[in-house]
Amino acid sequence: MAPILQIKDLQIDVKMDEEVLNVVKNINLEIGKREIYGIVGESGSGKSLTSLAIMGLLASPPLQVSKGEIFFEEDKDLLKLSSRELRKIRGNKISMIFQEPMSALDPLFTIEDQLMESLKFHTKLSKKEMKRACVKIIEKVGIPRPEQIMKEYPHQLSGGMRQRIMIAIAMLCNPKLLIADEPTTALDVTIQAQILDLMKELRDDFETSILMITHDLGVIAETCQRVAVMYAGEIVEETDVVSLFHRPKHPYTKGLLKSMVGDRSDALYSIPGKVPSVEQMPKGCRFVTRCPEAMDICEKVSPDDLEVADNHRCKCWLYQKEMANHV
Amino acid sequence: MFAYILRRLLMLIPVLFGISVFIFLIMKMIPGDVVSTILGTEATDEARSQLEKQFGLNLPIYQQYLQWMGGVLTGDFGVSLRTGKPILGDIISRFGLTLELTLLSAFISWIIAIPLGIVAALKRNTSTDFGVRIISLLGVSVPNFALATLLLLVLSLAFSYYPPAGYVSLFEEPMKNLQMMVLPAFVLGTAMAGAVMRMTRSSILEVLRQDFIRTIRAKGASERIVIFNHALKNAMIPILTIIGMQIGTLLGGTVIIEQIFSLPGLGQMVLTAINQRDYPVVQGAVLFIATVFVLINLFVDVLYSYLDPRITYK
Repeated sequence: MAPILQIKDLQIDVKMDEEVLNVVKNINLEIGKREIYGIVGESGSGKSLTSLAIMGLLASPPLQVSKGEIFFEEDKDLLKLSSRELRKIRGNKISMIFQEPMSALDPLFTIEDQLMESLKFHTKLSKKEMKRACVKIIEKVGIPRPEQIMKEYPHQLSGGMRQRIMIAIAMLCNPKLLIADEPTTALDVTIQAQILDLMKELRDDFETSILMITHDLGVIAETCQRVAVMYAGEIVEETDVVSLFHRPKHPYTKGLLKSMVGDRSDALYSIPGKVPSVEQMPKGCRFVTRCPEAMDICEKVSPDDLEVADNHRCKCWLYQKEMANHV
Repeated sequence: MFAYILRRLLMLIPVLFGISVFIFLIMKMIPGDVVSTILGTEATDEARSQLEKQFGLNLPIYQQYLQWMGGVLTGDFGVSLRTGKPILGDIISRFGLTLELTLLSAFISWIIAIPLGIVAALKRNTSTDFGVRIISLLGVSVPNFALATLLLLVLSLAFSYYPPAGYVSLFEEPMKNLQMMVLPAFVLGTAMAGAVMRMTRSSILEVLRQDFIRTIRAKGASERIVIFNHALKNAMIPILTIIGMQIGTLLGGTVIIEQIFSLPGLGQMVLTAINQRDYPVVQGAVLFIATVFVLINLFVDVLYSYLDPRITYK
């Protein structure tokens, strides 16, 4: 089946004073119809930047897409569209929800205003029809008494409610792709589960593909079919969710899995060190400074993105057969 | 909300009481008195005491205060010791001019400051932004009297233009009145604009950094909608605060500008009255100005809650 979104060789740079530094590199991924695709990684791994690049919402300058293609519905390269054409897609065929429901809604407008706004941008419905659509979508995201909620302001709602409203706004125009950037990070655990269930339900009802961006492997396990693990601006491993949890290849992925809270009683593992800053990016493999299995070659040359098993890509020298040739 | 406004109005009472006592005492403490300004230093003691008796200045000071206050509370601000004319009527007619000047200045200030502030924010750290910041710095730092005198000089010497003399009110001859007002309003307006411009710039920048702006863009909004429907409205509260204070201050009269353009406004009235030690006029005018200032502040506070639903008063 044709993918709904296909990212090819995406590269994002940041322009600092006179210098151009790379923040995201070699991003390749495909999201199928009705698929929930996860991107997991620490803060600073470039997962949010990747999602903003899809939306055309990178803060530019200083950020810019310097290379690559993002195909939406096969033919359209989002990076080549005019800002006007992109606006027609944004909030309509591709919509996005964000991490902080507390600050993601305009505090000076009612929920109704903020829902209606989307419809005004993308539809030619009458006011009455718009209102009906808003009531329907609010019910759909599981909020009782929609008429009353619509008259309220964001500060009168709880965090969970606001995130539901954000989802309602995102789903209003029946998008083909929903990008969820850490949708549950700011919520407490019970609300998290509800929101994730809601998203899965909406995926089934609206046939929407979801790009789930998170640092939480639990969220990935619960929702996604395919996962990309990002580290320091690169995808280091990409596979289906079962293989990722049971047969991880990349040392970083293994580290991440080890640092999950499990039922073991011993101290929680954590990967030593932190993500290198853009100025101090290693020349070879970007994970070399923290990798327990680092070799000489890792410091010098960046490994290729290889198919190490069926539908399983990994970017690590451990799996590179030609290793001998390089040395 | 209604209860809140009522409470704020009630709070006016202690404020005005404090101000009235303060201004009364200050007027008593400054050297010189109305009797010697009228009669001169050569006057006989007899003439002096007669005039003092006539003005009630021979009474103990607390009685003088009570007498004056009693009058004010019944709506009688007394008469000017120099002209014998009722004070309240005089204040109100001069306030008309001051109000017109203030509103005109504020209008000029906004149409300069808010668009320029937005442009500077959107083009921050470019030459446009730099230019706007220089203009705003000039607006804030060039003294009113200098700009006013320069304007008059340039207009008269280079363009042989003289604003009409002899004040007429807006209702008598609107065109002539506006011709007289436009220059002083421009001078005051540019001074106000400097501060408003800076506040607009920084406030818009602050709002544009917030998460909800990204949400609105993600909905597919054009930049025009992002800026005018959302960013400007959110940026309005600090701008309003500055504007409210500026208007409150201007409504108290602008002595220098009124002098330069010979406009009979409140400021001129108070200044003359102080020089002549015309106690009841000064006291009455100050009370009036204080009331207006407090009311403007109240109005701005009410406006806040209208703009921002998170601000409620109970």
